Amino acid sequence: MKPSKGYLVVASKRPNFYSFAINCIESIKDYYPDAKCCLVTEERFLDGREDIADDLIFCDDHYRAKLWGMANSPYDITMYIDADAEIEHEDIAIVFDELNGNDLMFHKLDKKYKKVYATLDFTYENAKEYYTYCGGVCLYDMRNPLIKDFMNDWNDLFRKQYSKELILPMNPWQDLWNFDQTTLWYLLNKVDKYKDIKVDSFKDNLRWNYFPHYERFFNDFPKDPIVIRHYSSYAEKDKSYA
Amino acid sequence: MADVKRTWIKDAFWETPTKELLNCISEHKEGFKDVRQVHKLKRGDPLFDECVEALTEKHINVNTDRRVDKKFKEQEQKRQLELNRRKAQKLEQLFNYKLETFEVEDIKESRNRILKSKLRRSKSIPEVNLYAMMILQDKLENETE
Repeated sequence: MKPSKGYLVVASKRPNFYSFAINCIESIKDYYPDAKCCLVTEERFLDGREDIADDLIFCDDHYRAKLWGMANSPYDITMYIDADAEIEHEDIAIVFDELNGNDLMFHKLDKKYKKVYATLDFTYENAKEYYTYCGGVCLYDMRNPLIKDFMNDWNDLFRKQYSKELILPMNPWQDLWNFDQTTLWYLLNKVDKYKDIKVDSFKDNLRWNYFPHYERFFNDFPKDPIVIRHYSSYAEKDKSYA
Repeated sequence: MADVKRTWIKDAFWETPTKELLNCISEHKEGFKDVRQVHKLKRGDPLFDECVEALTEKHINVNTDRRVDKKFKEQEQKRQLELNRRKAQKLEQLFNYKLETFEVEDIKESRNRILKSKLRRSKSIPEVNLYAMMILQDKLENETE
């Protein structure tokens, strides 16, 4: 039996993210009309536009309900995309091929771009470490039960971290505690259970999560046309929808 | 001063195409101190001749060309980044504007996927406005029917 494949977009906490999410899903369907899309959102945000989604799941109002949403994807293979992104190429339809035998795929954080990232390096038990992956997009295969566990643990650990119940031996903690990358890095690098997970980054890395900063500060572009453009800097600065 | 033994740093370059003004750096010892000095020397100055003799005119020519080329590339890169900055800013403004337009009640309620897709793919604010008007028109026509 063929695995089910679909896209997952999450909007929680702020109503503007519902608008972003609708736009993101509509943009997927602009380029891939047969795409299966799941919207994970809060019931209070619904205004009729949610009909664009093939699957609708209600989440709570947590700041990072995305992690819960990812763990509860209705698809075997899921492409999670941050709500404040927009699709601009038909190759979104073939993103699943990028998995290429891996369990998890992310956008890689490159040291070259350090100045535009909120944070990149830190210490863990006094050893210098770097975030490796950005959680803005994530392609994952939940036919492997370990990945389902991983997603659940990522969500559980992040909630503990965010509520200050969990404090990892990382510094500067005041800069790290509210990032889901922190828990992601910890699970991938320090938890034995997950050491055999096959994780990698997209081959044409910038193509699948292009931040305007890459052009603005480095004049860097992917080899092939951009598929997913991320507007997170805009989303953070502009609160007019909130 | 005449018996000061100077070492001339190799990155000397001509300030002008006529090679009348030389920008160079020398180093010498004053007791236990190492003194590093930046000069702008005019032709005719004995230090000008000393530096050219030490480094050779050919070397200074090559260095000047390399420097001009580097400066030109830096300026070009700066210009390109400024263009990119404006482009990225414009793109973010356009994204913002499109999302605001999608929040207009009649556009929000429209089920015309083709026109909404065209609006989303718009490359400028006037284009967004154009498709927004077409969506409104389409909605009015559907309501009349």
